Amino acid sequence: MRNVLIFICGALLFGCSGDSLSPAEDPYAFQKPENFPDAAYTFGNNPVTKQGFELGRALFYDPILSRDSSIACANCHQQHKGFSDPLHKFSRGVNDASGFRNAPAIQNVAFQSHFFWDGGVNHLDFVPINAIISEVEMAEELGHVVTKLGRRTLYQEKFNSAFGSPSVDSQKMLYALSQFMNMMISGDSRYDHHVRKEGETLTGDELEGLNLFTAKCSPCHATDLFTDGSFRNNGLNETFELDSGRERITEFAPDRGKFKVPSLRNAELTSPYMHDGRFKTLEEVLDHYAQSVKESETLDPVLRQEGTLGIPMSGEEKAKIVAFIKTLTDRNFTSDKRFSNPFLK
Amino acid sequence: MKKIYSLIFFATVLLSTVSCSDDDNNNAESGPITFEFDNIVGTADLQLNTADNPYTNSKGEVYKLTTVKYYISNIKLKKSDGTTYTDPVKPDGSEGYYLVDESDAESQGVTLENVPAGEYTEITFTVGVDATQVDQGAQTGALDPANNLFWSWNSGYIFVMVEGVSPVSTETDNAFQYHVGGYKEDAASNQVNNIKTITLSFNGDSAPVRAAHEPEVHLLFDVNKFFNGPGEEVTFSASAARHSPKACENLSGNISAAFVVDHVHAN
Repeated sequence: MRNVLIFICGALLFGCSGDSLSPAEDPYAFQKPENFPDAAYTFGNNPVTKQGFELGRALFYDPILSRDSSIACANCHQQHKGFSDPLHKFSRGVNDASGFRNAPAIQNVAFQSHFFWDGGVNHLDFVPINAIISEVEMAEELGHVVTKLGRRTLYQEKFNSAFGSPSVDSQKMLYALSQFMNMMISGDSRYDHHVRKEGETLTGDELEGLNLFTAKCSPCHATDLFTDGSFRNNGLNETFELDSGRERITEFAPDRGKFKVPSLRNAELTSPYMHDGRFKTLEEVLDHYAQSVKESETLDPVLRQEGTLGIPMSGEEKAKIVAFIKTLTDRNFTSDKRFSNPFLK
Repeated sequence: MKKIYSLIFFATVLLSTVSCSDDDNNNAESGPITFEFDNIVGTADLQLNTADNPYTNSKGEVYKLTTVKYYISNIKLKKSDGTTYTDPVKPDGSEGYYLVDESDAESQGVTLENVPAGEYTEITFTVGVDATQVDQGAQTGALDPANNLFWSWNSGYIFVMVEGVSPVSTETDNAFQYHVGGYKEDAASNQVNNIKTITLSFNGDSAPVRAAHEPEVHLLFDVNKFFNGPGEEVTFSASAARHSPKACENLSGNISAAFVVDHVHAN
C-alpha cells in the first residue's frame, strides 16, 4: 500500500510540478528551520495554502470573533511583542473582564502538542475556541461567530477561495486560523544565524551566556524551541491556592502548581513573565531562580539539588544569561508583513 | 512542501475512494438499517422541560429533564454467520459519529446506508468520542464544536450530557448538570478514560438487511439507570454539577447498563 501511495504521489508530483514554486520561494509553504525538531501539527488534514493563510490572518485581526466586536485575537497577541500582550499581566476581554493568566506569546506553535499554561488544549485547532467562548475573553458562542461570518461577503469570498465553498463552518474557520498560526515560525534570530553558521557572531558575553544557559536553564528550556514542552512547578508559590495549574486538567495532586515551560524565544519582548505575569524584567526572573524559589511537595527536582533551593547564579552570570536570551529576539518575525493586520493598508 | 501535503491528501482521497468501491454500494446486495434510540426514564417515555417534576431517582429525589444528549460512534454490526460490518469513520468527523439529542427527533434515528445484505444479530458501539478522533484536530458534522458538547478548557467532547432540575439540588436554580467526558488516558498523570464500548445482541431476533427492506432496531437509554448503576448511585442533593473527567469516572460506569436493545422491526 505504501508503495502505491508513493507511486501515486510521485506521479502526481511530476505531473503538477511545472507551475509550482519550490518551498524556498513560496512564502506560504510551511518550512521547518533546520535546527528545529519535527512539527507536531496534523498537516495531512489541513495543509497551509496562501488563501487559507490569508483567511486565518483576517480572522486573527477581526474583532467579529467577540460578542460585541470589541476584541480580536490580535488585541492580546500583538506582533511587535512576539504576539504577546504588552499592556497587561492579565489581558482584558469583553466588558473589560480580567483573565487570570498571562497571555502567552504565539510562535512556533506548529511544533507544540499542548497549549495554554495548563496544557488543557492538546491540538492547535482547538486553541481559538478557548478564547472565543471564554467569558473573560471574547465571550461569544462558536455557532454565532460562524453565523456572523457567513453573513459577510468578505468572508464568503475568503472561505470560497480557501476551501472551495462560500459556506462557513467552525472546522474551516479553525483550520484557517491554524494555517495562519502554523506559519508564525520564529527561527531567524541572531542565535539561529549563529547556530546554523549563517555568518552571525555572538559577542564574548553572549557566548558565555549561552554556555551558562546550557548548564543552568536547558534542562527545561530544551532544544532550539527553548522549551521541552513539559509541565513543572518552578517554585513561585507554596500552596497554589489561586491557580493549581496542570492539576486543573489532570485532577491529579502531583501536578499541582505545574505550568507549561514557556519558550524563551523573543522573551526580551514578551514581558511580563510567568503564568501570573508577576515579573516585569528578565533580571527579576533570574533573581527568582537564584534566590526566591519556594519549597512545596511538587517543586521540580532540578530546582532542589543537594538540599539547596533554586539555581545558583552570580550577578555577572545572570547578566550574561540575559545577554544570551536577547540573542533569541527575532525582529524579522515581529516585523514580517505576512503576519501584520490586513485591515490596515 | 504545501504541494506535497495537498498531494498526499488528494492521493489518500483517491485511494480511499478506490478501496471503498469494493463495498456493495447501491445494489441489491446492500441496504439501510436504522437504530432508533428511545430515551426513557424507568418505564416512562422521556419528556423534556415538563411543568412539574415527573421523575424520581433511586434516592427518591424528584426531578425533570431539560437536556439529554450523547454521542454514538464506531458502530459495528455482526451477522448471524459471525462476520461483521464496520460503519466507516472519517478523520474529519463527517461520517461515523452521531449525536443523539432528545430535543431533535430526527437525531434519534441513526441510519446506516449501503450495509451489506445479511441477517444482523448484534451491535457494538462506542458512547463518546475516542482519542484518535480528537487528536485529528477540528471536526465537522456531529462533532462540530459549535454543537456545544466540547470542553474548550480541557479539549475533548462531552460524551453524555444530562441536565435538569431537582428541588433538592443546591446548585443555582436547583439545576443539575452531568457532563461525562474524558478520553486522555495517561498513566503518568492518572487522567481517566470514560469511553465506553457496548455490545448488545438483538435478543435472539435478527434484522434482515436487503435492498427492499428497512429494518429498525429499537434501543432504549434509561436515564434512571444512568443515575443508578454499577458505577454509582447519584444523589442530586449532594453532587449535582459534574464537569470534569474525574468527577464523572464512577458515573460513566453506569452508561453501559443504561442501554438495552428493546425490539427489532424487520420491515
